[in-house]
Parts: sequence; structure tokens; C-alpha cells
Amino acid sequence: MTNTEQAIIEQAVAWHLASLGDAMDWDGFTQWLEADPRHRAAFDEVALADALIADHPEAMPPVEVANDDWRGDDALPTPRKGLFSMRWAGGAIAASLVAVLAVWQFAPGSTVTYSTGMESREIALEDGSRIELAPHSKLKIEGREEERMALEGGAWFDIRHDPSRSLAITAGALEISDIGTQFDIQSAAGQVRVQVAQGELRVSSEALGKPLRLAAGHGVTFDPAGGTAQVATLPSGRAGEWRDGRLSFDAAPLPLVAADLSRYAGVKVSVAEDVRNRRFTGTLVIRDGKAALRDLSQLMDLELGRHGDGYRLEPRPR
Amino acid sequence: MKPFGPGHTMVPDENAAQVTGLAQVLVEHRAELLRFLTARCGNAAEAEDLLQELWIKASRQPSGPIGDGRAYLFRMANNLVLDALKMQRRAMARDRKWIVEETGMEGQAEDRPDPAASAEEEIARRQEAEMLRKAVASLPPGAREALRLYRFEGISQTEIAQLLGISRSGVEKHLALAMKHLRRSPADCGFYNAVASGNMGTPGGQVPPAGQVT
Repeated sequence: MTNTEQAIIEQAVAWHLASLGDAMDWDGFTQWLEADPRHRAAFDEVALADALIADHPEAMPPVEVANDDWRGDDALPTPRKGLFSMRWAGGAIAASLVAVLAVWQFAPGSTVTYSTGMESREIALEDGSRIELAPHSKLKIEGREEERMALEGGAWFDIRHDPSRSLAITAGALEISDIGTQFDIQSAAGQVRVQVAQGELRVSSEALGKPLRLAAGHGVTFDPAGGTAQVATLPSGRAGEWRDGRLSFDAAPLPLVAADLSRYAGVKVSVAEDVRNRRFTGTLVIRDGKAALRDLSQLMDLELGRHGDGYRLEPRPR
Repeated sequence: MKPFGPGHTMVPDENAAQVTGLAQVLVEHRAELLRFLTARCGNAAEAEDLLQELWIKASRQPSGPIGDGRAYLFRMANNLVLDALKMQRRAMARDRKWIVEETGMEGQAEDRPDPAASAEEEIARRQEAEMLRKAVASLPPGAREALRLYRFEGISQTEIAQLLGISRSGVEKHLALAMKHLRRSPADCGFYNAVASGNMGTPGGQVPPAGQVT
């Protein structure tokens, strides 16, 4: 999404919220609508989404504590001024319970962990940034400004650039920081790949001599075995392409390809010892896991055998 | 909805004398309301229709104290557009679904019998709810709480600010984030026809940087 579209949506939301109140500037709103046809389209979407919410109270989960790993005592906030001095009418007691829970959720130092099963999931951050967490992945978000994250698996990040915020993402042995806009991270069994689609970021690690700057159209693959990081340019559209149902590899070790297929195509696949050093270059369509696996075995001239409740890539019998 | 031919409307112009109450306010602000409706629905003929509907509603309104009649009419007009839009989108989604499922081909909605609309709608409702549940679940806690209090507990933005111990603008930020996030879901699920939203933020729509082909 471009910045202009973001800005239009934000304006549409602001107008929508204002239109529900008493102090709405209807003339200003008319002029805003007239200024650009995209304004009307954006407003339609926002108003329709809000109407849907109002139509479906059952979509709202009951009061809950959202923190997956809720750490009782040390996450307790200091009581906020005003919360306990409020006067409550009889019926407001339930609402006050909601409020106390809600305030706890915002406590500094609280951790929220998102994890996915078969399907990917979108996570919205407070500042308008978006993350699409890949299937079978886990993302831990910490800090008052959601500034510390740890990823296992894959995720696409669309981060609003804010120089005043020191956002850092840990993936395997790498730390990704100084972040602007769109990039993809894949982290499995120590192997980490970072691919930048827009903007740039910094990649550092104790295993690396000095930090790397990675700009749009570039990717880095970190291999913990050799402690090496390999930077390469990316074909356009490559970063985050799993979201479009494709996976591309450039001389990628077979175990890594297998790990990706297991994550994205939902097929369990292992690699026989003899072929673990083979490398694969090409693109796999992952909508159908078994088909992707067949493609891979044919392209690599490998035998696809059953192994436990999954598959195994093996050398062809001579 | 439009008893007279195109270009005609029952709404009297500014010189009409015999109307009172809200209808009178409408007559006074007819031009501005029409301009708003045109901008809001993007179609002059539809705007005329909606103004007509607004006129009927306003005329039926028992005359009583209304704080700001003009703002009240604008709000009514705004709601009329939204209602029309909701009906239109639902009908489009239903037609498209029916045409694909029953005939396997595109066709005119008028050519076919009623496709058991109520059963379809029940299914659509359940799918909508499921889709929303997912979208709401992926909101950050702050935005989700603000949305719950605002939309489901009916608590005003100022009261939410007090309850959560945050500023009024903080509440606005939470609500804005929630709606910004949720507005993607109807289109993503193919519910509301994505015509209006296809160019706005589908996940696959990211434009990769040009000129990076190796």
C-alpha cells in the first residue's frame, strides 16, 4: 500500500468517527469527498466495515486476557490516576471490570505471543504497521511501544518508519533493526533469510564481524554452520512471495527447501542424508503441497518416498 | 422510489411556503444536501433519488425539538447512502455467488428466479461473523478493547478515555486502527464486491521495487 493510500484511509477513518459525533463538519466532509474519487471509495470501505461490526456483536470475543504468556506479578501496572476515583453508577460495575483488565493488558513489559497453525494470520500494530505471520510460525512482541519482537518461522512485515522508535526483531542469531517499510523474514533451524522489498534495514549478529545494511531488492541468507551471511540481489516481487502461493529458491540447500515446504505447503517432508547437500534453484507453487513436492522431486531427479506420516526425498535407486 | 420521470423530484424548492419542521430545514438546505449526497454516492441521479427519500423521511418526522436540524439531516443522508451501499453490495455478492454456483456462467440477475435468498443470507451472515471474529482477534489488545467498549458497550469516546486512563486522542487512535484493520476483511473475503477496494491494500497488491531483476 502506498503512503497516499494509507493517508486516505486514515482520513476516511477520522471522518467516519467524526460523523458519529455531534461536532461533525459536514461541509468540510463534502469538500473532502469532492477532492478525489478515492476518498469516497475509502470512506465506503470504512463505513461498511463499521456497519458489519455493529451487525455482528457475536464476532466480538468475550472479555479476555489477550496475553498468551501472561506473567502475573511482574506485569502488574501501577494504578492509574483517575481509575479508582471514578464514581460508578450501579450498572457500571461490569464495565469497570472490563477497564481493569484492559489497563492490565497495556502494562509496560507485557508480552503478547502470536502463533499460527495451518493458516497465516495478520497482526496489526498500534502504530498502523502490519505483519503477516506465516503458517506454523510464532511471533513474540514485547515492550510498551511493541518495539521488541522475536520470530520463529516466517513473516512479512510492513512497518511504518519511525526514526524515534528503536524497533528490533530477533530471528535466529540475527537482529534486524533500524527498520523501514516492507521486508520478509524466514527463520528455521538456525537458517535465517531476510529480504527487503521497500526501504532498508540493518542486520547484525554476534556471529558476523560487522552489521550489514540491506536495501530494497536485496536479501541476506545466514547459515549458522559456517557463521556466514550471503547477500544477493532479488528479482522484483520475490520478497514475501509465499503470500501469493509461490516459493523461489536460489541454490538453496535441500533441507531448507524441505523446511519451507513443510511450513507453507502443509506437507511433512524430510531429506535423506545422502542428498542433504544438494541445492535447488527454481520456483515452486505451494497451493497444493503434494503437487509442489512432486515438482521438486522431479526437478531434482529424486525419489519421493513415504516416511512415517510424511514424505522423504531420497536418491533414485540406480 | 422515483414516481416522476428523471430530472423531476418531489422536493419543493426554496420558494415553497407550506412546509414546516424538519422538512422546512431540508428545503432551506436542499442545495447543500444534494451536493453532499452527490459527493457521497458519486452519482448525481442516485443522489436525487436519495434526496427524495430523505424528503419523505423528513416530512414524516413528527415536528419536535431537534437540536441542529441541518446536522440531523446530513446524518440521515449519510445513513441513507450507507444503507443503499450495504444492500447493493450484498445483492451483488449474492448474485455473483448464485450465478457461479447454479449456472456456472455469468448472466443477468433479472433472468433468474429467486435463489432462496433467506437461506443464502443466513449462510452469508455466518461467514461474515466468522470473518469478523478472525479480524477482531488479530487486533492489538488496546484497539480491541476500545472497539469493544465503543461498539458493544456503547460507551462514548470520552468515557472510554477515562476508563482506560488514556487521552481522548489515544482512544481515537485505537478506534482508527481497529477500523482501518477491519475494513480490509470484507473485501478480502470476497463479501462485498471488491470493485471499490481492489486497489486499496489487498495483501498481494504490494508493488515491488522496479528494476531489481538480476
